[in-house]
Amino acid sequence: MRGGKEKWADIRIRLVGALFVAIFAVTAARAIYLQVIKNQDWTKMAERQHQRVVALTPARGTIFDANGAALAVSVEMDSCFAEPRKIEHLGAAAARLAPLLGMSKETVAKKLAGNKNFVWLQRQLTPDLAGRIKGLEIEGIGFVKETRRFYPNSEVAAHVIGFTGLDPAGLEGIEFKYDSTLLGNTGFLVTERDALGRDVALKGMLVKKSSKGYNVKLTLDKNIQYIAEKELAKAVVACGGKGGSALVMEPQTGKVLALANYPDFNPNASYRYPPLLLRNRAISDSFEPGSTFKVFLVAAALEEKVIRPNDSFNCENGSYSIGGKTIHDTHNYGRLAVPEILKYSSNIGAAKIGIRLGKEKLYAYLKEFGIGEKTGVDLPGEASGYLRDRSQWFGVDLATISFGQGVTATPLQMATAFSAVANGGVLMKPYLVSRITDDSDTVIQQFEPFRQRRVISPETARIMTKMLQGVTDEGGTGVNAALASYKVAGKTGTSQKVDAVTKSYSLDKRVASFVGFVPADNPRLTIMVVVDEPKSSPYGGVVAAPAFSAIAIQSLCYLKVAPSGADQLTTRVVEAKGPAPIRAFAALAEGAIVEAAAGSVMPNFTGLSMRQVLRNMEKQGLNVRLTGSGRAVAQNPRAGERIRTTDQVWVRFASNN
Amino acid sequence: MIDRRLFTNFDWTLFGMLMLIVGIGVANIYSATASYAISGAPYYLKQIYWLMLGLFLIVVICSFDYHLLEDISYWFYGANLLLLVLVLLIGRRSMGATRWLHLGFFNLQPSELMKIVIIITYASFFSNYPVFDGLRLRDLGYPLIFLAAPLFLILKQPDLGTAILLLLIAFSMAMYVGIRWKTIFSLLLALMPVVYLGWHYYLRDYQKNRILNFLDPERDPLGSGYHIIQSKIAVGSGGMFGKGFLHGTQSQLHFLPEQHTDFAFSVFSEEWGFIGCLVMLFLYFSLVLWGLYIARRCNDRFGSLLAVGVTAMIFWHIVVNIGMVIGIFPVVGVPLPFFSYGGTSMITSMLGAALLLNISMRRFMF
Repeated sequence: MRGGKEKWADIRIRLVGALFVAIFAVTAARAIYLQVIKNQDWTKMAERQHQRVVALTPARGTIFDANGAALAVSVEMDSCFAEPRKIEHLGAAAARLAPLLGMSKETVAKKLAGNKNFVWLQRQLTPDLAGRIKGLEIEGIGFVKETRRFYPNSEVAAHVIGFTGLDPAGLEGIEFKYDSTLLGNTGFLVTERDALGRDVALKGMLVKKSSKGYNVKLTLDKNIQYIAEKELAKAVVACGGKGGSALVMEPQTGKVLALANYPDFNPNASYRYPPLLLRNRAISDSFEPGSTFKVFLVAAALEEKVIRPNDSFNCENGSYSIGGKTIHDTHNYGRLAVPEILKYSSNIGAAKIGIRLGKEKLYAYLKEFGIGEKTGVDLPGEASGYLRDRSQWFGVDLATISFGQGVTATPLQMATAFSAVANGGVLMKPYLVSRITDDSDTVIQQFEPFRQRRVISPETARIMTKMLQGVTDEGGTGVNAALASYKVAGKTGTSQKVDAVTKSYSLDKRVASFVGFVPADNPRLTIMVVVDEPKSSPYGGVVAAPAFSAIAIQSLCYLKVAPSGADQLTTRVVEAKGPAPIRAFAALAEGAIVEAAAGSVMPNFTGLSMRQVLRNMEKQGLNVRLTGSGRAVAQNPRAGERIRTTDQVWVRFASNN
Repeated sequence: MIDRRLFTNFDWTLFGMLMLIVGIGVANIYSATASYAISGAPYYLKQIYWLMLGLFLIVVICSFDYHLLEDISYWFYGANLLLLVLVLLIGRRSMGATRWLHLGFFNLQPSELMKIVIIITYASFFSNYPVFDGLRLRDLGYPLIFLAAPLFLILKQPDLGTAILLLLIAFSMAMYVGIRWKTIFSLLLALMPVVYLGWHYYLRDYQKNRILNFLDPERDPLGSGYHIIQSKIAVGSGGMFGKGFLHGTQSQLHFLPEQHTDFAFSVFSEEWGFIGCLVMLFLYFSLVLWGLYIARRCNDRFGSLLAVGVTAMIFWHIVVNIGMVIGIFPVVGVPLPFFSYGGTSMITSMLGAALLLNISMRRFMF
């Protein structure tokens, strides 16, 4: 039993030991595979099995105005839940809770019924109500902090800020556009399920606290916003209009300082208003701008040097036929120099400048001014307006577009394009958010003014400014926009609305507007006022210009802008107290432009020769695009349909020989 | 009778390792049963009672020289066989099997005891049996009969887990004695028809399912595959560092089956992660190596064989149990020694430990 045998036993034991090591190694390797390599798969499976997640409203970041005043804040509120299984006497509990929750006893009892472990009773309670429910001291009734959006300034800047739903998602405005920025991480109330699918008591409940989102600082100034809203409302109400928009921008930067719509709404109760009221009309609704458009025309013509400031045009004594249509001016003028065409807002003069400039050039400049394209402002729902491609400009189109008909733009587009004239010729991108910060005020993102392109030269811009100052001079259409202590450059606009029923220009529905910038010699503000369907007077010079001057003078005083003349201090104070009475006399009238083409109905051209169609067109004053040759085979609109101003009218010819 | 030297030679290393494992085991049972709604003493406390009984047995057994067992081993064997017959006659039936003898204050499971008894019997037999160049087939006559009798009775209960363990222990000891390759092949050849017949005539459907489900757990995820999948989810979701004591979701929410007994290690792995697993594996590995070390330095053949047998018993329990928990073996109801909850398992394991300690402390006795 000794010697070799002993040694052999030793080796055997070592062999067995080696086998053990191998088996343990395999086991450890398997553990690594399960727990380290495939860990995530198994974790997911585990969570799927045992977790039930109740989402908690996360806190949204605050929206500040340019001066740091809070426009939208999140307030912590108690949400009340029940753990029915912990409640001893369900009936009694329901009876005690019902009056406080404002529900019937049966409703509450129904909520508590069933073998549920968790049920919301009411979310986002007022502190008072939460306190009273807590006071009942019912075992099994609990509270979790959730946040609710609150807009401390009520209606102020409602359309810009937008609002949120009951769940934390932003639905409109900045709240919507910057939703992912403002919205924090959702918190979770995790209840666990056991193997039988029952919710396990909440004692092991894990509350992952929701985190707060980033803060957003706007370019908007609450005070200027308030001024704009107040004056816009006053103007709309005074003329019995349907609604309106007012915009205040910084021409050099594109910062939007105020964006107002009337009627407005209270975002704290947005659900009470019809959806139409929640629209941000200043960027979502486009209208035919009318005479304000002449500014871009003249600027383009000057830039292209097809006219000089001193050139004069024969304004045909108020009636001018072109392409089968007759254009009218409100007053009958003979020869007018270019500045006078703007001052008196002559359509015939504008049409003639347009014809001299040519449709290629006009189209190119309008594009440069951003007409027909979204400005790219950081708000949702922006409209692009409508500028027909120049290949589809026929007959009278060049003339009418020259004075702002047959083309549409949003108030924001107009203000932005006007800012390009004000700032010396550069189109800026309008924007509303200047900065995104986190809770400790660290800047996450900073937004700088964005220069899109140079549209006109500084020299042209300077000449334009001088001409536009003339508009507010005595005798001009914009005299109501003038301020005693600041030079004002601007332009009135009055346009017919397209009647939805007849699809031609309405006889009484107008859009009155005024857009301009102050002080003219060193522009600080571009202000745009649009009033929809004014009743008392249709003219921009009567309806919109006074609101412009009111907004301008108050904003300039608020911004402490030095008056143009040093001797004007006293006047300014007077002006700030009460604006001069609105002057309404004949000189302010403008617009009333194209004869309403007496209910233009598309004739049936089918089978006619091109010559016959042309004769017919001439007679009806139609503006038709003709393609092909031979006999007419197709047309748009179809025979008997009304022709809208924006319609593309065409007739296609074909020969079958 | 009690030599003073015995105290100085007491194997504190082995004892320390055991107490560490048992301690972790009790804590783990505390966590595994924390979510149980129970009346009476909680499981971890009961496990401590069993531990006390086990320690008492260690003291008692260590006070006798283990060589006494060599003489009375066949008496033990006969008595245990009798108990196994009694189980089949008057045993307590529970969960589809008759494994327990109701003794009033506790239920005795003679098949568990048989593990220790077969070790003593084999050690006694082989220590007196001259072997040259390994065991031949004919040398295995008596050992096979010793094994076959209890194996038959245990399979009749049925208790597949214990039967397999018995087989593995016996095989390990024979291997230690030395066995010819020819013998092994002959045995395997003879085993094949047994396996075939066993599959078709002996194995119950649930047992066949367990084996099939081990091969493909998704076969029946809510049925008998449930054990394997749930255990893998628990272990796998534990990750590197685990979910923390009392924070295992799968165990606390009762997704794990038998989580305080056979699947106790799943609970541990979920809550302590791979690091915890590694620590436990290392402890068990050390325990087994220490057992072999005791066998090697023992000066007599009987003691050496006894130590190997006990070590093999502990080793195979660990391998089969952990293999089941991490899904490399099929589900057979085998507890993890010193770790799983259960009186019988604790007593059997402690008896084995007592034998090891006994052998270790008397290594200088010749």
